Amino acid sequence: MLLSADNVSKTFGSLRAVAGANLSINEGEIIGLIGPNGAGKSTFFNCLAGDTLPTTGRIVFDNTDVTRSSPEEHARLGIGRTFQVPATFEDMTVLDNVMVGAFLRHPHRAAAREHALQVLDLVGLKERQELRARSLGTPGRKRLEIARVLATGPRLMLLDEALAGLTPAELQQAIALVKKIHQTGVTLVIVEHIMEVIMTLAARVIVFNQGHVIAQGAPADVVKDDAVIEAYLGRGHRQWRKQSSGSA
Amino acid sequence: MKGTLALALVFILYPFVFSNAFYLDIGVALLLAAISASAWNIVGGYAGQVSVGHSMFFGAGAYLPLLVYHHWQLPPMVGIPLGIAVSLVLAVIVGLPTFRLSGHYFSMATIAVAELIRLVVGTWDFVGAAIGLQGPAVGRGWYDLTFRGELPYYFIFLVVLAVLLLVTWQVQRSRFGYYLRAIKAGERAARSLGVPVRRTKLFALMLSATFTSIAGSLYAIKTGFIDPESGFGILVSVQMVIIAALGGAGTLYGPLVGAIILIPLQTATNTWFGGGGTGLTYILYGGIIVIIARFEPGGLHEMWQRIAPRFRKRADAA
Repeated sequence: MLLSADNVSKTFGSLRAVAGANLSINEGEIIGLIGPNGAGKSTFFNCLAGDTLPTTGRIVFDNTDVTRSSPEEHARLGIGRTFQVPATFEDMTVLDNVMVGAFLRHPHRAAAREHALQVLDLVGLKERQELRARSLGTPGRKRLEIARVLATGPRLMLLDEALAGLTPAELQQAIALVKKIHQTGVTLVIVEHIMEVIMTLAARVIVFNQGHVIAQGAPADVVKDDAVIEAYLGRGHRQWRKQSSGSA
Repeated sequence: MKGTLALALVFILYPFVFSNAFYLDIGVALLLAAISASAWNIVGGYAGQVSVGHSMFFGAGAYLPLLVYHHWQLPPMVGIPLGIAVSLVLAVIVGLPTFRLSGHYFSMATIAVAELIRLVVGTWDFVGAAIGLQGPAVGRGWYDLTFRGELPYYFIFLVVLAVLLLVTWQVQRSRFGYYLRAIKAGERAARSLGVPVRRTKLFALMLSATFTSIAGSLYAIKTGFIDPESGFGILVSVQMVIIAALGGAGTLYGPLVGAIILIPLQTATNTWFGGGGTGLTYILYGGIIVIIARFEPGGLHEMWQRIAPRFRKRADAA
C-alpha cells in the first residue's frame, strides 16, 4: 500500500469538515474523490497534501507517518499536489516555473534545466518555455502546474480540480495527459466535479458528504448508489423517483 | 555581457572624467547607495520579504569599526567582520520568529527592532550615545583606510559593488535564487514543490544583512563619524527600499539604476534649496513611493521590458 489515511478528522471551531475518513491507495491506482460542494473533500485532500494538519487520525505514506509533516517534507517524500486555482509563479517563465520543481531532485542548474525540459515536452509546453506563466491561458496554466509537480518526481500526485474550466476539446487533451502521466508509474488522486473525467480515468471512486466517506467502489457502481444520489440530489429525489416510476 | 562591460567601463572612467570633488562625492554616494540597495534587494526584491528596518544591519556595520577604534585604537577595518557578526545575529533574531508567519509581520518586526536599537544606541554611553563616534582624523597607516581624497574610496566602493553584483548574479542563477523568486510569487505553492521556505528566507536575510553591514562599515570609515540617526535612522532603510523599487526590485541592476537616478536628484535638491530644503528628502521619497506604487510597481526595469520591444520593432521597421 502506498498511502493510508486512518480515521482522519478535521474540525474548524465547531465545524467538523472531515469526520473519521479512511482511505487506502495502492501503487499505480487512479482514485477519484468526489462529493457535493462543502462535502469536506478539499479539506481531506489538504490533509493528504500536508497543507492542513488533521485534528485526529493518522496518514502513512510508504511506511512513513506523514500526519504532521510539512508540505515540503511531503514533496521530498514523493507526494505532489496541484491547486484548485492554478498557483503558477506568474512573473517567472514557463521553464523557470518547472525548474523550481526540478531542483528538488536535481540540485545543479544544468541537470534541473534538462529535467524540466523533458517534463515540458511530456505536457506539451516545450514550445512555450520562454513565455511568462501569466501569459498562458487557463488550460496552459493548469498544464504548467501539473508539469511543475511532475518535475519534483512524485510517486503520488494529488490533482485538485486540475481539469475544471476546460473546453470539451481541452478536456480530452487533459485526460490524455493524465493517462500519459499514469503510464509513467505515478499514482493519482483526482478531486473533480466533472463526472466524465472520473468515469474515464478513475478505477476507484470515493464519495464524500458532510465530512464522511459515504461510498466507495468502481465508478459505475458508485453512481448508482442511493446514498450518493441522495447526497447530490437531496432526500426528495428518492420519493420523486418512486412517484415517477409508479406513474409510469 | 556587452552592456555589463560598458557599464563597468563608465564607472571606471567616471572619476577621471568628473575629477571635480563635488562630482566625485556624488559618485561615492551613488556607489554606497547602490551597495545598500543591492544588498536589500536580495531579501526584499528577490524573496519579496520587505524589510523596512535594514538600518539595523547598516548601523551595526557602521558602529563597530568606529567602536573598536574609539575604545581600543584598533584599525577600523577590524570592526567590519564584527559588524557582520552582529548583523547576522540580528538577522536570526528577527528572521527566526517572523518567517514562521505569513503577511506583514516581518516588515513590522524589522521596523520595531531597528527603532529599538536606534533608541538604545542613542542613550548608551559606551557607543557614544546621541553624540556618536568618530574615526581617526588622520590615518596612522593604510590600514586605517583614512584617505585625503575621495578617489580611493570610490574604487573601494566600486569593487565591493562589483563583488555584490557578482554574488547576486550567481544567486539569481542558482537553486537558491529560483527558490527566492518562487517564495515571492507564492509561498504555499513553493512549499508544495519542496522549497524549504523558512530556511531559504533566513539565508537570504543573512546574506543581505552581511552586505548591508559592509555598506555601513564603508560609510562610517569614509565619513569618519557615525551617530544613531545616520546609522540606524528610518531614512537609511527607506532609502534602500525606494532605490531598489525605483530601479526594479528583484532584478540585478535595478538598485544600481535606482541609485543612478535618485542620488544625483537628491544632491540636486539639497544644492538648490540648501538649508531651506530641510525635509525635502522626505517629500521626494514620498512622491517617488506614490508614483511607483500607482504607475509602475515593477520599477523602471519592468517599464523598460514593456517598452523595449516597441523600440526594437521601430528599429527593425526602419
